Amino acid sequence: MPSWIGQAIKRGILTSRFPRGPGSEDELPETSRPPVLSPTSDPLPTLTRATGDCPTGAIDPDGLHHGKCVRCARCTRKGFVFAGPAHPCADSREGLYAPGGGPLPEHRNASPLAPLGRSLQLFLVDAGSCLACNLEVLALANPYYDSSRLGITFVNSPHHADVLVVVGIPTDPLLGPLRRAYEALPGPKAVLAVGACALEGGIFRGNPGTRAPLSDTVPVDLFVPGCPPTPLDILQGVLTLAGRANRLPEVHP
Amino acid sequence: MSGTGGLPPRPEGAHGRSLSYLPADRSFALLTDYDTRRTVRATFGELSEQHLRAARNWQPSASAPWTLDMGEEVEGYGTFRFPYGPFSMGVPEAGTFELVTYGERLLEVLPGFGQKPRGILASLPGLRVEEAALRVERMVGPYSTAHVAAFLFAAEAAAGTSLSAEEAQVRALGQELQRVYNHLHVLARLAEAASQNVGQAQTHALAEEVLRLAGRHFGHRWLFGSLLPGGPRRRLDRVQRTELDRSLAQLGSRFEALWELFQGSRTFVDRLQGTGRVGRSQAISWGAVGPVLRACGVPWDDRLRDPLPPYHDLFLPLAHQSEGDALARTVVRVEEVRSSLLLLEQLLDRWPNGGTFDPLLPVSPRRGLARTEAPSGDLVWDVLLTEDGRVRQAAFRSASQANWPLFALACRQSVFTDFHFTLESFGLSFAETDG
Repeated sequence: MPSWIGQAIKRGILTSRFPRGPGSEDELPETSRPPVLSPTSDPLPTLTRATGDCPTGAIDPDGLHHGKCVRCARCTRKGFVFAGPAHPCADSREGLYAPGGGPLPEHRNASPLAPLGRSLQLFLVDAGSCLACNLEVLALANPYYDSSRLGITFVNSPHHADVLVVVGIPTDPLLGPLRRAYEALPGPKAVLAVGACALEGGIFRGNPGTRAPLSDTVPVDLFVPGCPPTPLDILQGVLTLAGRANRLPEVHP
Repeated sequence: MSGTGGLPPRPEGAHGRSLSYLPADRSFALLTDYDTRRTVRATFGELSEQHLRAARNWQPSASAPWTLDMGEEVEGYGTFRFPYGPFSMGVPEAGTFELVTYGERLLEVLPGFGQKPRGILASLPGLRVEEAALRVERMVGPYSTAHVAAFLFAAEAAAGTSLSAEEAQVRALGQELQRVYNHLHVLARLAEAASQNVGQAQTHALAEEVLRLAGRHFGHRWLFGSLLPGGPRRRLDRVQRTELDRSLAQLGSRFEALWELFQGSRTFVDRLQGTGRVGRSQAISWGAVGPVLRACGVPWDDRLRDPLPPYHDLFLPLAHQSEGDALARTVVRVEEVRSSLLLLEQLLDRWPNGGTFDPLLPVSPRRGLARTEAPSGDLVWDVLLTEDGRVRQAAFRSASQANWPLFALACRQSVFTDFHFTLESFGLSFAETDG
């Protein structure tokens, strides 16, 4: 007689080692790593050649803006490789700019929410996304990532939340609700911008009816690039906000 | 199902029309609909202002613009309107619903569109096809392959370029992988709504495994760029194919074990049975597509009806049910997970060794049209190219656009707690509606 419990036990523990250790190969697919100039290519001519090919203008002759990159892989034909350090994030838009196309410097803990200690409640806001970012954020609750083991849970109202997780390029009709959701958050509060669309507008930047970047509408505390970022990227972003990145989890793994 | 506050019986929908719900020929005039679509958008916009208006004569074609009329206004003692959205964790997407109710029973549910139009169609003219495809695939992340495949097939028909057999194979592979993911996701959301916590977690885990397979073999979890020339890694060698095949077989047996448990759960089945019922004639006359249509006893699937390469070479059992309720839609999705796994097995087994496919016939010079069966249903892209091969105009009609009025009908006279079951079992997306 099959049972739910038996089924669950048979599957065993699926949960990622992250943040206790690095993510597995399955958790870090090729495009989850930010592009960097390949060690064999010469920076200036490579950047100049790749500039025209980049559909979002992330590459200019001086460097690469990771917030604008949608990981389309065009530049991999011009001397870039998806090999940067995993889980990039920054607390300013400029912080995602890598001069010379090299790897981004590792981000220190921003920790506006450090006073909140170990538990964080997230509220997801879709400002005009394609759903991929939404589903990657919500994937944190599935057994493979199980964010609740780290005290990170999702709540149903901004009134109960510490962090507003915003995905998608802000569209005109959603600007008002977005501001109201931010105002409804009790302090101390933080905004996590997830995905290329929320950061810089991604591939849709400049489309009629959209208002990129998000940071013009609400103050953003941390930017997580990617199109979409993987669940581990987002988890790392949340931990960075709480000042807990690169620290062993104190709760049961 | 009585106790509607003495309201007159609701009209059952637009009966008496011919069964032209899915045109069999390729004369579907979306491009001339381009202006019509704007009218539709305007009409959709009015939906939230005038309330109680939805589709009648819902036929996306040039001659019959979409007009929206849900019948007379619901009035009655104690009736009020309850706005829901745009941000609510119940629905993982920004969209609004207006629930008309006097308490427990939902008299009317009106989806409000136009919350997240990202101006995608307006941004396409003037772009090269590959550039436009980057935008098309990012319109709806979970259906990216269906959109980009339809768009590329249409563009190839317009340009008259042939397609390598391997490329076609990858397109089908991507679409079937995403279908499995989406159906599993819908099942997990239904389990969540029915408080089947273990089932929900286990099904979400299975869906995650599909994404991981995509990430491992195509370099991107949502297959963005994997169907495009110059995208991330997408050549599957023999070793990778064997590995993917083995992983999918494992996934299939795990899925069967889960579904057996779901079937044995009275809580789960009872919540779905009879919920959000759509009649067969309703579905046909309002132009339903996809699992919604197939759950009403209409065996219609673009992969069989109008197969693009390489589907014409594959064996595909067609799933359909006759009840038209949330359970029937779920069973159709479960059957489709099975048939998609079967298709994936065939695709991986019969990997083409060279060869090309001719493009589809253009509908007129430089204008092509293609339909794919997205996880949510029939999807059409219509593309007009300029002389130098850039996009001049493009338009689409998605399954979500076609199925919203059916959703509004299915919600009538249900109760509050049915809302999520109806919504999730329809699998509609605002991103795919607004464009």
